[in-house]
Amino acid sequence: MGVFEAEGGIKVEVDEDGFIQDPDVWNEDLAKALAKTEGVEDMDEEHWKLVNYLRNYYQQFGIAPMVRKLCKETGIPLKRVYELFPSGPAKGACKVAGLPKPTGCV
Amino acid sequence: MGVVYCSCGPANVKEMSEPSEQLAHVELKDLPPLPPPYDNIEELPGFKKLKDETREEYEASLDDTLAASLKKPKSEEEEKEMVERFLSGLHKLFTKENNWTFLQPLLLSMEHCAKCQTCVEDCPIYEESGHNELYRPTYRSEILRRLYFKYVKNGNKWFNTFQQGGIELNWTLISRLFELSYRCTLCRRCAQSCPIGVDNGLITHELRKLFSQELGWSPEELHGKGTIQQMEVGSSTGMNKMVVMDNIEFIDDDMTDRVGFDVKTPWDVEGADVLLLENAGEFLAWPENHGCSSILLDAAGISWTMSSELAGYDGVNYGLFYDDVQLARVATRHFEIAKKLGVKKIVMGECGHETKALGVIADRVGIGNIPRESILTLMRDIVFSGKIKFNPEKNDFPVTLHDPCNIVRNLGIVQPQRDILNYLAPRFREMTPHGVRNYCCGGGSGFAIMSKNNFLDWRNHISSRRKFRQILEAFQDEDMSPETKKYVCAPCSNCKGSIRDMLDFYGAKEKSGIYYGGLVELIVNAMEDAREPILDWDMM
Repeated sequence: MGVFEAEGGIKVEVDEDGFIQDPDVWNEDLAKALAKTEGVEDMDEEHWKLVNYLRNYYQQFGIAPMVRKLCKETGIPLKRVYELFPSGPAKGACKVAGLPKPTGCV
Repeated sequence: MGVVYCSCGPANVKEMSEPSEQLAHVELKDLPPLPPPYDNIEELPGFKKLKDETREEYEASLDDTLAASLKKPKSEEEEKEMVERFLSGLHKLFTKENNWTFLQPLLLSMEHCAKCQTCVEDCPIYEESGHNELYRPTYRSEILRRLYFKYVKNGNKWFNTFQQGGIELNWTLISRLFELSYRCTLCRRCAQSCPIGVDNGLITHELRKLFSQELGWSPEELHGKGTIQQMEVGSSTGMNKMVVMDNIEFIDDDMTDRVGFDVKTPWDVEGADVLLLENAGEFLAWPENHGCSSILLDAAGISWTMSSELAGYDGVNYGLFYDDVQLARVATRHFEIAKKLGVKKIVMGECGHETKALGVIADRVGIGNIPRESILTLMRDIVFSGKIKFNPEKNDFPVTLHDPCNIVRNLGIVQPQRDILNYLAPRFREMTPHGVRNYCCGGGSGFAIMSKNNFLDWRNHISSRRKFRQILEAFQDEDMSPETKKYVCAPCSNCKGSIRDMLDFYGAKEKSGIYYGGLVELIVNAMEDAREPILDWDMM
């Protein structure tokens, strides 16, 4: 366990890999700060499209969506997802969207 | 014997009980170099250091990493209590009524090791660590052996201790031993090479079991987020019934679009011939694997179903890795579901540990009277049944095969996957060595899903190193540029996860064009009637 601190008084609990512990504390400012830890300096429209899709899916189903579904429903190909979030959909985009770290054989 | 690179491990077994900052070190410069272009340490990912705050919170005095991540004790009383519980668990490990699974092979492994060290050269972790003594398969075993002779074995305690060598049982020992029981992938290559049949893999397993069942110590990925979540939510992935059915519907629709004929997964069909029980991680990470199994079963005219019951759609059983009680709970659940549906048999998907847990070990639970079959043998029968038209030329790219330890060495399912590839993959070539002499992917025994702190670095640098080397060697006669796409066929979810991580880590897709996937994808990719190729390199 650790604490993630950033500008603007951000101070939240994160796990060993930097995933936030309580999905309810997530907000857009926190997302921007988490994005910086993933090498994303500015969140543009495509970043938000992915993050918002992940958020909404998570709120509805309680886990992260399939990567193929993410790509199909946002219309953003996997290659582009990796360009937007260099650590990829699970370790990068999901972290910024405030989802917990995936579990099981995924 | 090969070149000795370095030994940065403990000099003797007794050091394990002696408090020190850290017992052993991993230095990247000591690891045997990989072939080019992966031979320059400066250009490879490093080995992240544990943070100071992590070292303060967890017991990190073993080596430079943490896998099991045990919190430091709050008081001396807690230390004492845990040492006592360990001792009590140690006794239980050696009684029939408390160890109904593996007492006999454990006793044989305790009593008969001739200490010839034949096995050590067969351990990829020991070899690829540059012969770090801490990872020598007999080092861990020797600790348990001395404890057994000192505390458990009847007879003259002083003589036993004198004869076997002494050891001090204390907090330092048990906390390090717990962590050390997660530096072996239970691949059991050492057991295969032992002239007497001593099984160091089993010994590691029994240690994990003692820690979990008696002290409540286990990695969160295997226990809390693993078997517990599976029994509470339905799957270790966190998918409940609603989510899994939604995901499978998505896979069905997606596959229908791609192959051009209807793909529909049947749910909860009573009296079906086959209950298909796959590793649910496939649905999220490798959805084509399920989609292709579905296509193949339908094309062969097999009556089959999936189950939407709690844990009925997730064949994983992480209990196999660390806890017999959890193993029994999950296996019992799987059998109950199959019985209730009245299926003729359970077919276990491309998942090594599931196949071993449900296919063999579950028989010891006592209710395993429903036939079980690996999907590998069933696929071979389907491919050669003459019911489906194939065009092997569709698989016109280099393919090599990874042998999952649990399926191949431990269960002896060696040939079916080869028959299929010899027929459907014209550019198939073996790794060296292969079959029952294979090397582990480095993610065995749960490692593939454990990546906390810097354990992923340890895994990719050390436990997966031999497999990465083998994969590179298998394709050496090909153009090694990324333009020539090469496929590592790994018919096991856990192995796929581990191979994905190592290819990412070393950048092998970008540098050498190496991709990976399962077996059924290659079969369906070669189907004459499929409109589009199933292999979508851009998604891999």
